[in-house]
Amino acid sequence: MPKSRKSYNAASKRDLVFASLLIAPAIAVLLFLSIYPLAYSVWISLQSETANGVSIGLHNFYRLASDGFFFTSLVHTLVFTTAALTLEFSIGLGLALLLNQHIRDRGLFRALLLVPMMLPTVVVGVVWRLMLNSNFGAINGALKQLGINTEQLTWTASPGLAFASVILVDVWQWTPFVFLVLLAGLQAIPQEPYEAALIDGSTRWQTFRHVTLPLLRPAILIVLLLRTMDLLRVFDQIFILTEGGPGFATETISLYIYRTAFRFSEFGYAVAMSFVLLLITNVISTVYIRFLQTRESAS
Amino acid sequence: MSNVSHSIMKKRIVSVVLIAGLIAVGLLGCKTATQQQSKRLTLAVNSGVEGDALKQAANDYEAQTGIHIDIAEFPYTNLFEKELIDFNARTGAYDLIMLDDPWFPRFASKQFLADLTPLLQKRGQNGPDKDFVETSIALCRHPYQTGNLYALPYVGNSQLFFYRKDLFEKYGLKEPQKWEEVLAAAKTIHEKESTGAGGNRIHGYVMRAAQGNAAVADFMPIFWAFGGEMFDASGKPIVNTPEGVDALKFMLELGKVSPPGYASFNADDVGAHLLQGTAAMSINWPAWIGPFSDPRKSKVIGKMAFTTLPAAQKEGKAEIGNWLIAIPRDAKNAEGAADFLLWVTSTEQMRKSAERGNPPTRTSLFSDSQLVAKYPSYPAQLKSLQTSRPRPRTPQWNEIENAFGIFLSKANSGELTPEDAMNQANAEIEKILQRGQ
Amino acid sequence: MSAMKRTAKYLILFLALLVAIAPIYWMLTISLKTEADQFASPPRWIAFTPTLSHYYDAFVERSFGQYLVTSALVAVLSTAAALVIGTLAAYALARFRLPFDLDQKLSLWILSTRMFPAIVTAIPLFLMMRDLQLLNTRLSLVIVYTGFNLPFVVWMMRGFFAELPRDLEEAAMVDGDSRLGALRRVVLPLVAPGLAATAVFCLIVSWNEFLFALVLTQTDAAMTLPVGIAGRVTQYEIKWGVMSAAGAVAIVPILVFALAVQKYLVRGLSLGAVKG
Repeated sequence: MPKSRKSYNAASKRDLVFASLLIAPAIAVLLFLSIYPLAYSVWISLQSETANGVSIGLHNFYRLASDGFFFTSLVHTLVFTTAALTLEFSIGLGLALLLNQHIRDRGLFRALLLVPMMLPTVVVGVVWRLMLNSNFGAINGALKQLGINTEQLTWTASPGLAFASVILVDVWQWTPFVFLVLLAGLQAIPQEPYEAALIDGSTRWQTFRHVTLPLLRPAILIVLLLRTMDLLRVFDQIFILTEGGPGFATETISLYIYRTAFRFSEFGYAVAMSFVLLLITNVISTVYIRFLQTRESAS
Repeated sequence: MSNVSHSIMKKRIVSVVLIAGLIAVGLLGCKTATQQQSKRLTLAVNSGVEGDALKQAANDYEAQTGIHIDIAEFPYTNLFEKELIDFNARTGAYDLIMLDDPWFPRFASKQFLADLTPLLQKRGQNGPDKDFVETSIALCRHPYQTGNLYALPYVGNSQLFFYRKDLFEKYGLKEPQKWEEVLAAAKTIHEKESTGAGGNRIHGYVMRAAQGNAAVADFMPIFWAFGGEMFDASGKPIVNTPEGVDALKFMLELGKVSPPGYASFNADDVGAHLLQGTAAMSINWPAWIGPFSDPRKSKVIGKMAFTTLPAAQKEGKAEIGNWLIAIPRDAKNAEGAADFLLWVTSTEQMRKSAERGNPPTRTSLFSDSQLVAKYPSYPAQLKSLQTSRPRPRTPQWNEIENAFGIFLSKANSGELTPEDAMNQANAEIEKILQRGQ
Repeated sequence: MSAMKRTAKYLILFLALLVAIAPIYWMLTISLKTEADQFASPPRWIAFTPTLSHYYDAFVERSFGQYLVTSALVAVLSTAAALVIGTLAAYALARFRLPFDLDQKLSLWILSTRMFPAIVTAIPLFLMMRDLQLLNTRLSLVIVYTGFNLPFVVWMMRGFFAELPRDLEEAAMVDGDSRLGALRRVVLPLVAPGLAATAVFCLIVSWNEFLFALVLTQTDAAMTLPVGIAGRVTQYEIKWGVMSAAGAVAIVPILVFALAVQKYLVRGLSLGAVKG
């Protein structure tokens, strides 16, 4: 979409003023609610409370370097993100490829499939906590009915299973999203390239690699970007499902930061940690957005 | 033409601004208006039976005096956070707060709570009623036992040990006095009842081991009985002494005859097992035993018996766990709060509360004939209260409990050996203490 | 496509639907079951006698009705504010090519603020609200929610505006309209569906939000529905019935809205990258 056709050059001063007036409120709001808090954070992160009052300096950052819990929670977050992303993407893509044909009542299917991701994360957490209760939950109940011994399937009690559970819950909630976006992307691909490939005699795999994938790229990238950002900052479901337990096994970085700030009142340290998280998400999102941008300008 | 549209636009802008202003005032106004009425109080309570008891009392107060009490209800850890935030931010959102006694040292040492003595004196009392159980009142003083009074105790919890007397009779077991007897009995029941009614086996023991308050609260009695101590005389952490490690090893032994998944059990899981009859023994707070005799919830009516906590190398000591009520220093309506506080902890009101299932904190009520008829465990509860010991009274208890709880949980889930868990816990507690220096 | 392949595909789709819906169904049944039924083993999937006691308990006896009102109020107000401010900015960014490529850069910067992990801004915002004495007010929630709905509105509406032909305003202005008038009279009606869809997305996000509400509220005066539900996860005797009842009510508006904006759903979810 060439820009010159759809937008004006803000050549005249009047236009410039008009445009600025329209944009200014938005900028102001964002400055107040996004940028100023960050600047304030820098100030807070330099403050640490000692018995003699508040001292200014880099104590909090030094503390980061030797805090085993911090690194563990980072590792947990990264593992969680990678695992959930891989599962959501493969299942979502697989389903989209499989079902990319004429489906009747597409609207109804779509509406039903999007229910999980529209739910408040708190409700999702509550529902799954209920279902995963090892003694009275529906999951173990169903497994028992199928004759499986569920004695050892203590979902939220053993570290490994708890971690798997939180991944499972996220996959349940967000795979439909991946599926829907990729499906839409697939269905937007015109027929010609496929016909051309058919004439050329390409195999299914070659068609997939050289026709489908490139044309699906924007959809894939946006899905990966959005999911990665969401996964890195996961908080709500884990808060309800396991509260970071058992024994820190499902503690992610957001949870640890929250606990440090609001349970131990160590705001400076919490903010210092959140900077690290921000840095990580920034780097990743910049990489993704750059990919997206090259796509946009190329078209 | 453009002049007309200009003035229309002006009018529109004005109306938008007006509406926005009205909304803002409306939203803000909601808050300030309620605070200014001195006929209202805000009370922060725990989500659970303890909070329910206080909520009912608040309703009674309103019926009696017309003063409305807004209740803010939060789950255990959230309640702590909200109260701490309120103190730090000095928002004065709450006029009265419920607090678990381990939180008290932190709140009191930072002067977050109002000194109650002047408020009592204004109302003709020089100090707390002598009727209050001494160990309960001791918790409300900072420094412990000797200092100023900053709270009054409301829920008189002190641990009791529960067991299924019908199963004990069945297998000819006597009431356990020592922890090794507990384990032996648990193993017997666990093996013999491997296929209970309805395909559910009966486990020998059940406990809370979810990280945090749950694990620590249920572990401390075992820890103390085995001779473990958290701090030595100089205040250095010593959880990793051989006694401490033995205590943890014993906990793991009990875990083997507990329902799988106990490593993340909280109170509701323990309660569910006891009520469904699938576990035979447990430590429990008296405030939670009401449902045992409720036919809608309990399958073990009349089958539960109780005793004081078992001993090991040292005599068995119950852990005290009272819920206290205090007035934040920044409360907006401290006088109204003090009135309510005295009212709700009066003998008459505590009796009513006791009838609803709330363990009282007044000695006289424990020997009241009507109450004892309804709650045969009262004499045992009073004895437990009077001989109980509290968790360490350090202002950093919250962080320590959190860290200790994590390592207990890791040991119970098999992630760490008992030695490693205690060693790492000790190191972490040392770090926490150093940060407070 | 062979009949077998087709049935297989429908089967898979059906299975996926089942997995997606089953937990919701389970929550609904819990909200309607008596406590004894809730913990029955084996689970009672379909046959049970329903009771409305949990709904009564939640909305009449406890404060969930108030939480509902707060959630609705905050969602509507913050969405309205974000729509007004965001749409104006989006229009300008879509229509005008500013010097130094500012329109591109600003758009991307606005989008990037959407990427902040909530906890990063939650702590300073908490401290800011505390200093402004706005803690535990609905106003603070409205302000904060406007802040994070705004980037989304800007990004989405920019896409919708950009699809319109340029001549549109010019024709209106030839007739003597001012720029703003042209915007109002000609352009906005054309993007109305997009506007509505964006509004619905913002409503849903605000309705579901948890972390900021958790941090900024202290009493029933300002608590939203998600915070209220989370607050029932007690130490003892978790009130599953009450939570499920509240959860069931919490998802109703969402389902209704989502069905309404179905057409723009994928587009909204993918921030406009994919037109569904």
